[in-house]
Amino acid sequence: MRNQANPWLTGNLFVLVLGMLPAIVLIGALLYFTAWAFAFSFTDLALVGRKSVEWSWVGLENFERLFTRRGFLESLWTTVIFVFFSAIVGQSVLGFLLAATLRGTQSTIRSVVEVCIMLGWLLPDIVAAFLWSATTSQTGLINQLIVVPLGFRPINFINEYALPIVTVANIWKGTAWSYLLFSAALDSVSREVVEAAKVDGATPFQRIWLVQLPIIRPHIATNMLFITIWTFTYFPLIFAMTGGGPGRQTETLAVFLYNQSFARGNLGFGSAISVAMLAIVGVLSLFYLRLLREPK
Amino acid sequence: MADVTLKRVHKSYGSLEVIHGVDLDIKSGEFVVFVGPSGCGKSTLLRMIAGLEPISGGDISIGGRVVNDVPSPQRGIAMVFQSYALYPHMSVYENMAFGLKLQKTPKEEVDQRVREAARILQIDPYLDRMPKALSGGQRQRVAIGRAIVRNPKVFLFDEPLSNLDASLRAQTRVEIAKLHDTLDATMIYVTHDQVEAMTLADRIVVLNAGVIEQVGTPLELYRNPVNTFVAGFIASQRMNFIPVAPESGGLRLPGNRLLALTGTDVTKVRTIGARPEHMELASAETAHLSGTLAVIEQFGEYALAYVELPDGETVTVKLDGAPELELHQQMHIGLPEGQVHLFDEAGRAIR
Repeated sequence: MRNQANPWLTGNLFVLVLGMLPAIVLIGALLYFTAWAFAFSFTDLALVGRKSVEWSWVGLENFERLFTRRGFLESLWTTVIFVFFSAIVGQSVLGFLLAATLRGTQSTIRSVVEVCIMLGWLLPDIVAAFLWSATTSQTGLINQLIVVPLGFRPINFINEYALPIVTVANIWKGTAWSYLLFSAALDSVSREVVEAAKVDGATPFQRIWLVQLPIIRPHIATNMLFITIWTFTYFPLIFAMTGGGPGRQTETLAVFLYNQSFARGNLGFGSAISVAMLAIVGVLSLFYLRLLREPK
Repeated sequence: MADVTLKRVHKSYGSLEVIHGVDLDIKSGEFVVFVGPSGCGKSTLLRMIAGLEPISGGDISIGGRVVNDVPSPQRGIAMVFQSYALYPHMSVYENMAFGLKLQKTPKEEVDQRVREAARILQIDPYLDRMPKALSGGQRQRVAIGRAIVRNPKVFLFDEPLSNLDASLRAQTRVEIAKLHDTLDATMIYVTHDQVEAMTLADRIVVLNAGVIEQVGTPLELYRNPVNTFVAGFIASQRMNFIPVAPESGGLRLPGNRLLALTGTDVTKVRTIGARPEHMELASAETAHLSGTLAVIEQFGEYALAYVELPDGETVTVKLDGAPELELHQQMHIGLPEGQVHLFDEAGRAIR
């Protein structure tokens, strides 16, 4: 449809393309990296050596390796456990409980707790990782303060319970987000609706479970969507704490991807892992977006 | 059905006292309206009766039982909120059944009571709808229905009509009056709208700044307000207040005429009050007040004339029919005997 007021502008293809140029560049840049990873997932490109120059197309070989070789499926399972316990159970539930209990409390208690949760969130990942591994190591604070004075032999937590420790560290680090989101969501629930439930005879637990939670269901789904995607691809904290070890106990997909691509130099295989991760996160997102829909 | 008694009820937030010792007896089956300007404490008082707000001192009893520390659900009350406060994720039926289900009422009884309430309120066609698919008036009925099914001893209404438009408000007002007649329950109703207060109440409680100014039937308040606050608040057209100087034999009015009063000690009178509907036009010789017509509002069945007195005061006169008056013309007003309220320096009525 032509713009009646300005026919010159709408009729001139060159001007139109020129006007769209910034958008084209931006979209192009965004697509470039995804397309790059997708394209090279079908090659045997390597980081160094001969195959970094003379790479060749290998078809679906990289994707077959995902399922035939050890590594990917184990990492996927580790990631699922990590996401489920640290994000969905830990951050979400803890964040919600904190938000629900702190709502009615005095402002000073609330402020103190909020600042404490926020500190974990604001601390750089690498610093947090160092603090956690130092605290949980054989000579760390927990052993010095608790285990040894009680007469036990010091335990190397970070080595023996690597995945639980990493999970707890991530809960500590990420709860602030869920807390803030659920606080805002609960504030949006009308006070009179909660009071109506109170008059109707609902216990505090029933008021949360039967009234507030269903009302903020869209917020819960949004939060799940965010933190699942983040945690699924989360890299720095785990890598800096354990590097995926001991063995492969804490090798989540992000760490596995890094190890394959850069430690081993298999960029082609690494690309296939990233494409697989993209697909998994995409399916999860679809699931949560369905939850976001209002019931009939 | 239960009576409600308040004894020296206080409420303070920290050092700020908002309810200053309220004493009130509400008889079983009575329709009592709390009325007052915003911030006068009427909603707080209602929420204290509901158990949503702890009381700082005094006693509240419902049906002869002190309920200071009894939680809301056990007080035998039901409340209708200003915003309706329907559960947005439940259908109309579930909204009304929620309280009964929590009490583990048998399913057949829940169903029967919900349908009975829906029938009374004529909302049976909407039972399966979600609240957001209802109009404001329908939501209000659901909120009232939710109160009815609980079969409470006392109904509490917190400004239930203020979110409705004018015509629906008038209609719902009539329905609430009918409902009170049908259910024969004690009802406490909070509003800032004096029309709702006048039309619904068996007795009106006028509140101002956390104290009760006056309690009485609508006509008592209209005829014998105890002070200038109540006099100015009750009735649709605000009462005119005119400063006067007492003299032997009467009161000196603005414009220097004398309002003759016999048999009353007028020495303490500083202000007189006269309702617009009680003022009448008079001839220049018999008039008490004279001034120019500043504004005239024609309503068809009556007209309001705003008359500016020489000293700058404006008085409102309600005239029947559609009088033919011209702006800025001279107006002469008479104050009929027996319709003039006398107030002292502090605004208290002198009888």
